[in-house]
Amino acid sequence: MIALVVLVVVAGYYMMQPQPTPQPPKEEPVKEAPSPTPETPKAEEPKAEEPKSEEPKAEAPKAEEPKPEEPKASGDTVKIGYLAALTGDWAAYGQTEEKAARLAVDEINAKGGVLGKKMELVVYDFRTRAEDAVNAVRRMIEEDKVVAIVGANGSGINIATAPIVNRLGVSQIGTVSTNPLVTVDEKGEVRPFSFRICFTDPYQGKLIAFFAAKELKKMKAAILYDVGNDYSQGLREFFMKSYAEYEGEVVADLGFRGGADVDFRAQLTEIRDKGADVLVLPNMGKEMALIMKQARELGMNEIVFVGGDGYGEFMWEIAGDAMEGSYWINHVAPEDPAMQPFFAAYKEKWDDECKEFVNGVLGYDSIHWVADAIARAGQADPKLIRDALEATKELKLHHATITMDPKTHNPVDKDGVVLIAKDGKGQFFTKIKP
Amino acid sequence: MGGRRPPSSIRERGDLYLATLIQQIINGLSLGSVYALIAVGYSLVYSILLFSNFAHGGFLVIGGYICYAALRTLDMGIWMAGAISLFGAGVAAILTERLAYRPIRERTNVTLYLLIASMGMSIVIENIFVIVAGGRFRALPPVIPTSPVNFFGLATTSAFDLLSLVSAVVFLGALQLFLSKTRWGLAIRAAAYDLRTAGLMGVNVNRLISIVFFVAGALAAVGGIFLSVRYTLYPQLGVITIKAFVAAVIGGLGSLPGAVVGSLILGLAEMLTAGFISSQMRDLVVFSLLVVTLLVKPTGLFGKSVSEKV
Amino acid sequence: MSGYAEGIIILLCINAIAAMGVSLLTGFTGIFSLGHAAYMALGAYTAAILTVQHSVHFFPAILLGGAVAVAVAFFIGVPTLKLMGDYYAIASIGLGEAIRLILENWQSVTRGARGYPGIDPYTTFPIALGFFIILAILMFNLINSRFGRACKACRDDYIASSLLGFNTARIRVASLMISAFYCGVAGALLGGFLSFIQPVMFDMLKSTELTAVVVFGGLGSMSGCILGTAVITLVTELFRPISQYRMLIYGAVLVIIMVLRPEGIMGNRELLSWIKDPFRRRAG
Repeated sequence: MIALVVLVVVAGYYMMQPQPTPQPPKEEPVKEAPSPTPETPKAEEPKAEEPKSEEPKAEAPKAEEPKPEEPKASGDTVKIGYLAALTGDWAAYGQTEEKAARLAVDEINAKGGVLGKKMELVVYDFRTRAEDAVNAVRRMIEEDKVVAIVGANGSGINIATAPIVNRLGVSQIGTVSTNPLVTVDEKGEVRPFSFRICFTDPYQGKLIAFFAAKELKKMKAAILYDVGNDYSQGLREFFMKSYAEYEGEVVADLGFRGGADVDFRAQLTEIRDKGADVLVLPNMGKEMALIMKQARELGMNEIVFVGGDGYGEFMWEIAGDAMEGSYWINHVAPEDPAMQPFFAAYKEKWDDECKEFVNGVLGYDSIHWVADAIARAGQADPKLIRDALEATKELKLHHATITMDPKTHNPVDKDGVVLIAKDGKGQFFTKIKP
Repeated sequence: MGGRRPPSSIRERGDLYLATLIQQIINGLSLGSVYALIAVGYSLVYSILLFSNFAHGGFLVIGGYICYAALRTLDMGIWMAGAISLFGAGVAAILTERLAYRPIRERTNVTLYLLIASMGMSIVIENIFVIVAGGRFRALPPVIPTSPVNFFGLATTSAFDLLSLVSAVVFLGALQLFLSKTRWGLAIRAAAYDLRTAGLMGVNVNRLISIVFFVAGALAAVGGIFLSVRYTLYPQLGVITIKAFVAAVIGGLGSLPGAVVGSLILGLAEMLTAGFISSQMRDLVVFSLLVVTLLVKPTGLFGKSVSEKV
Repeated sequence: MSGYAEGIIILLCINAIAAMGVSLLTGFTGIFSLGHAAYMALGAYTAAILTVQHSVHFFPAILLGGAVAVAVAFFIGVPTLKLMGDYYAIASIGLGEAIRLILENWQSVTRGARGYPGIDPYTTFPIALGFFIILAILMFNLINSRFGRACKACRDDYIASSLLGFNTARIRVASLMISAFYCGVAGALLGGFLSFIQPVMFDMLKSTELTAVVVFGGLGSMSGCILGTAVITLVTELFRPISQYRMLIYGAVLVIIMVLRPEGIMGNRELLSWIKDPFRRRAG
């Protein structure tokens, strides 16, 4: 026994010494000359798949796995990882994103691919769980050797995966992840390998506050947010700050547990009794739908619902008429003429309306953005791609023109769109810039 | 009801608390009634077999999906769909028992093995639905009306809540009749007292257990239908059974009236906590109640006290 | 060895450490607990907060994680361990969930339900293996010592052993504390492996997995529980790509084992005795 204790102490002492443990290299400072890492194109494990459009793996939740590793002769594809929630609460968003991304990949490949090679999409289902996303990202980078990752659509997810992608050195583009912490850490320093294509929550919160206070002229707001969601918490914070600046009063600030709570009557009762005239919902679709439905059931017929980009057309199935007359701040309007070709192509390929149009559009454009960055980088090398992403200027994508702010990795100056839920769909209401 | 002034005087504040209190009480009762349907089935199984059937949530989900399929794809009315889903869930419960529990039961009387098997079954059922039906949640067609109903201006609830309360009462009443007035009901009560003796007295134990499971499954299905209409249907819907389980313990495992009372208490506790403290504390309160009950009176409110004689 | 294979072995070591803790409590002291994932959570969060926010070196952080788990186990164990059998199992569910919920709600410290990212990946292959080997040796020694025999006495016949003069209450609490330590350390190592922890990772599903692994390996067999962990971890990890099927298979395995061989792989014998005498039958 004593020998054992001695052993333990000695082992502990040894472990305490700063070891030259094989730590993966910390992110090199940006200017680092591109090292000829073994990641460069040709030596790719022979997992080349014919980039034919995979049959629409629409509903089947097993869609996530890229085919098993049959060794094939050529190594001629550029692999892009896609982090999508194909099952779980965000399945509607994730499945749309995957389809839109595949559409983009097919279009790009039809035009010759990138750097003369076909683009290959490696899709992983993170089941709306951060833990699975972290695992998936690891696998994508270490096993599948992707050169860039697109997704996820949730801020909390990308905040969780950020340390991994930054440590392992592969860029990740968030599609609809709007919380600032996705690309900039708590100390205010930009995360070199984290990017996003959407606008951020401080901006969005301001838009919501502006809309509620100035356009709708509702000065007594209640908020019902998800305590388990970075996006929700962040949006709420920024909304409250801006709303106060516009002299609005927050009469009720209540939380719920997303993914767990389905009954909001307790909170809604309090909101009703405090006399709020607008209910701000900085959440993701399903819970918002339930909240609106239950609010109307409680007899709250006059309160106006205003939400952010968590809107999804699938909400109508659950909320039905309760949704009529609600407003949603968003990135894209479904009637945008620039996006009609995309919607048409989507419908033709997948035989389905692109209901979660924001996710579809942003997923689609993210793939095009990555393709453009790879072309500019000249090589399918994660570090070069990162540099190219950061240097993006005036890139004309389909829904907007993007310029990256190198200090924050956020797109500069994007417009906000307000949708109104009317007649069973989200319709364009107005464009705002506070 | 919008546009109320916030309360200014003390009297108005007091009225506000009263109104909130009444509203939360109504909310709590309606939630509790759904719990009751689940907890009673649960307690019934416990009273006979003396183990916690964690797969009970699975029966709930099965009921929900059958109802969904019947309504959406087969286009039946709610009564038909409901009947089919009750029947289907009952059958599924019997199957579960035959496949997983009977073999273990016949071999050993260690209830832990049944417990673990039940957990396995609950995972299996949940994942069968994930694979077959997809992880997406589904909204049932609004067959149960949800229009608001006003109580003397003091509280509002929806027609749905009243209906679920009424249904719970009806089903539980039917169960009570079954137990007290029929022969099998008598047999079940005897078995709850002592399974082996009941067997010795000529009761076909295997058939009895099948009947018990059928009833439990059917009750769970009713709960499942209400839950899925209200909250959308998804494979993990059965997770709510853990709360029903807590309710059953608080009321006293093995006691049916106890399960009902426990459920109502739990529903009220949840809603009052959510209303007056915060929603996040809800589950914490639930589990704390569980622990406190076990420490203070482990057999719950109505359970039988069993003491060991040395 | 590829990074992936190393990762699986690390995970195996982590799960085995936790399983050993649970095995001591369940297989050797006869206390069924369905809430042990909470101790893992405590260990994980303690180590995470210490290493990330207070720049403590991981080795003491891991041990402190274990220590916090022990402390909590002591405080809740003393009042609740007087419950017997099923009742304690139920209480453990409540306690486990309550602890997890507290961690989930304590936003200022743990970041709540959103999870705690950015943990330094200190659980490397040698570290995990090292901890496992040392803790395994300690455990095997423990179960063959006087304390171990006292635990088995409590398990086999609680009343008789208290009549014989064993301080059964104290033994049960001690057993709980040791098992909590093992789970706490395992949790801390897990955090250092995944770089990210969330309260939902330590829910009832995880607790059930721990208990199931022990039953699967054989109650009363420490080598069995390690074997059981190996099997279950391999099944869950190798099938991760087909994750829906993975869970289905896992659930089915649980049921099948219970139906076909509830005494587990090893029964209550240790691996060594099996090798020496595979067909020995216990008398009586």
